[in-house]
Amino acid sequence: MNGQTNIKNLTGLLARLIVGGVFVYSGAIKALAPAEEFAYAIESYKVIGPGLSLLAAHAVPWIELYTGLLLACGIFTRSSVFFTAAMLAFFELMLGQAWLRDLPITSCGCFGSAGSNSITEEFLQNLALLALLWPAASYRRLSADGSEGQYSSSLLPLSGDETVRTDD
Amino acid sequence: MTLAKNGRLALLACALIFLSTLSVLLARRLNLGPMGPVPGWRVYGPENAAIQIYEFTDFACPACRGASETLAETMRVYGGGIRLHFKHYPLTHMHPWSMDAAAYSDCAGEQGKFAQYAELLFSSQKKWGEAKERPNEFETLALQLKLDWPKMQACAGSPEALKRVKLDMAEGGLKGVNATPTFFINGKRCVGSGQLLDQVRNFDNLLRKK
Repeated sequence: MNGQTNIKNLTGLLARLIVGGVFVYSGAIKALAPAEEFAYAIESYKVIGPGLSLLAAHAVPWIELYTGLLLACGIFTRSSVFFTAAMLAFFELMLGQAWLRDLPITSCGCFGSAGSNSITEEFLQNLALLALLWPAASYRRLSADGSEGQYSSSLLPLSGDETVRTDD
Repeated sequence: MTLAKNGRLALLACALIFLSTLSVLLARRLNLGPMGPVPGWRVYGPENAAIQIYEFTDFACPACRGASETLAETMRVYGGGIRLHFKHYPLTHMHPWSMDAAAYSDCAGEQGKFAQYAELLFSSQKKWGEAKERPNEFETLALQLKLDWPKMQACAGSPEALKRVKLDMAEGGLKGVNATPTFFINGKRCVGSGQLLDQVRNFDNLLRKK
């Protein structure tokens, strides 16, 4: 039982590191590039105009970076997971409407100009990331939250509890 | 208890946010981010060359004209050891026609003659660089190279051409370019022909290491 809990908590940790890592990478790569580059990608979704696109291009990379970091480290894990899920759902909505409207999107803007998958690939990738958020939210013992306060001495689970409740 | 715990977590979150922001801003300043893509017609030399040069240039700037000759000579000497990526950085506040020149050169590039058009733009710089009225040189040079002028005009006025130049300018701004020509040679910044020549003296060593 204890071994099973260990595996579940490790799965939770791994899921957080994967999703958080992807967010940190995509945020950093865009924050290191000119905002105009990402703004052009946002414009191609034809949802908002150039002015708002530029504003979003300045803000979104940093939000991704911070959310990814908090998620990977497991700080306010439940809130981070919720916020990440909301962002992914929003990205899915953007990709979905572009696919339905058959917009000629050459760069989705997901990872800056470093490389761009097709809309379908990005849509599926985001779905996979959304699915990974489930173990990330459920098994949180190996997180900064889990190792704080009452769990301060339990970086590795001692009991058979599968889920750790925190107050974030 | 919960309040203290949340306080500690909030402090940790703030520290992480602060450190990550600082890291990204430092990486920007130290030019650690990847360079943006350059259209194929503005890249010369083999992909795996030991020396990768990114050049931010304004066609109307006299120092850029001088540096282009130095660079052409360097390319002739070191040949396959260098890959040059040309990026536009028109100083529009000083040179009223440099943005047009950049757009036209890209449109010449679309017709396969970027290098030739760029060379002519530099050599005739005095005629059009500070012209009060719209210069005819862009057309004259295009016809000299037997380029399709109406096609070039349509191309230069398109949002795509403008976007390409503006992205280069934005990238230059992000990397702290504020004078032309600025070069990034294997990531190391140098400004003007003098500093470029200083770096060229190291090329033998760089090529030997490879």
